[in-house]
Amino acid sequence: MIQAFNLSKQYRKDSAALRDVTLKIAKGEFVYITGPSGAGKSTLLKLLYADERPTRGQILVDGQNLTRMNARRIAMVRRRLGVVFQDFKLINSRTVFENVAFPLEVQGKKRYEVSNRVYQVLKHVGIEHKMKRYPLELSGGEQQRVAIARALIIDPMILIADEPTGNLDPDNTREVMELFKGANARGTTVLIATHDRNMIERFPRRLLALDQGRLVEDRMP
Amino acid sequence: MRRLIYLLVRALRNMAQSPFLCSAAVGTVTVALLILAFFALVVLNVQQLTRHWSRDIQVVAYFDKVPSARRLDGVLSRLKGWPEVEGVRYVSPRQAYDRFFRRLGDDADLLAGLPRDFLPAALEIRLQPAARTSAGVAGLVERLRSSGDFSDLRYGQEWLEKFEAFLAVLRTAAVILGGFLLFAALFIVANTIKLTLYARRDELEVMALVGATPVFIKTPFLVEGALQGGIGGLLALAGGYGLFRLFLRQDLGALLLSTGLDRILFLPPTWQLVLVLTGTLLGFLGSLLSLRRLVRI
Ligand SMILES: Nc1ncnc2c1ncn2[C@@H]1O[C@H](COP(=O)(O)OP(=O)(O)OP(=O)(O)O)[C@@H](O)[C@H]1O
Ligand SMILES: [Mg+2]
Repeated sequence: MIQAFNLSKQYRKDSAALRDVTLKIAKGEFVYITGPSGAGKSTLLKLLYADERPTRGQILVDGQNLTRMNARRIAMVRRRLGVVFQDFKLINSRTVFENVAFPLEVQGKKRYEVSNRVYQVLKHVGIEHKMKRYPLELSGGEQQRVAIARALIIDPMILIADEPTGNLDPDNTREVMELFKGANARGTTVLIATHDRNMIERFPRRLLALDQGRLVEDRMP
Repeated sequence: MRRLIYLLVRALRNMAQSPFLCSAAVGTVTVALLILAFFALVVLNVQQLTRHWSRDIQVVAYFDKVPSARRLDGVLSRLKGWPEVEGVRYVSPRQAYDRFFRRLGDDADLLAGLPRDFLPAALEIRLQPAARTSAGVAGLVERLRSSGDFSDLRYGQEWLEKFEAFLAVLRTAAVILGGFLLFAALFIVANTIKLTLYARRDELEVMALVGATPVFIKTPFLVEGALQGGIGGLLALAGGYGLFRLFLRQDLGALLLSTGLDRILFLPPTWQLVLVLTGTLLGFLGSLLSLRRLVRI
């Protein structure tokens, strides 16, 4: 599903955020990416959803080489990815419903075509009673569930999460992890960058450790 | 088609969401185009004035002696065949004397004692509109001189040269000032639209993230820019017409009418269309410029 060969990323000439990373993640895997702050976790994920381009090396998603893609084809790949962030990245001028429907709207679907699906997903993450609210009227845990609903609405082949529980309390963290496990059980490949040791111990899965841009550990539970 | 309406609706919604920025962009275009329209109006009317004045441009050719009827016929038909000549009128010594007499009015007794045919016979040659330039006059004069039929030629070429130089300066000034204004307007519009982009950067980021194509992201902003520019152009046109009715027609009119012009013109329809299209293009380009720098996808 995901293959990276000798992947390097330099934001500036003198320092590398990622050095020579080679890895392979199969379809349906559940993988943690961990490491100290500044290790390159977010950078690796950004290369995966093509927010940044690698300085050297190749990165393939579902057999397609992201390094040689134009903006339009990258958009097409992103339509099959769900991405979740620590800071949610919701559109604050739109309601919960509109936020979750947004990926489908962008693909040109009409509201009445998608409203049923949106409702189902909102119900799945347990936030359907607040679908007419705006993001800033919700708690952090609720906002993150909206963000996850937005990621799940397209039935993503890969779910990418960058410290999704970084701002959440233990209860919300557990609920969010349950949602990720559920998506994984339905066949979605899941990638989570985190430095929450508790979480890794409670739901042990394959773990990739980065340090100063290098892949220093690849361990199965 | 459905897609087009959707993009248009999105553009309108964006505009409704930031009315202040929207009116700033529209206002900039309006002011810039209003000044341009004013200049166009002045140039247009001065040009009209030139055309009016140039009707009086003529070359007077004096015969050395009164031509015989046959010779006159020959010369007249030859001259009428020249492409730069619009018309030729023969002025006999008697007619010249009468004209002179009338012009002198009370001083006509100065002519007492002079023979009635002391003035030379002459041809008054009017030029075709296209030849009413200093070059056209010079060409005609050269031809007349080399024909050898005339002893003297009189023409207002120097005056014409000065006037042409003045027109050229006016036109160059209009072009330079217009270009500068358009450039400044483009800069301001681009930055205003950049502010609207900045105001919705969360939306733009999410759009790119969930797989919106570059066209999908950019088109509403381009439409927004074009709409704002077009509205600015229309307002400039309306404002220009208002000012024209209120002030120009009288004030500029008073100035120009004293020179013999019978009517001050407003911009003709094609110029009006060009004005609105310029506004539209301005907004569109402004959007395009700011998008190129901000949306990196
Ligand atoms: N846009 C950028 N421009 C320049 N340098 C950057 C940029 N993004 C990241 N870096 C640098 O790249 C290195 C890796 O950053 P990255 O965000 O991938 O780390 P991280 O592992 O996600 O850290 P954290 O756990 O704090 O989120 C850091 O040294 C960081 O300063
Ligand atoms: Mg990070």
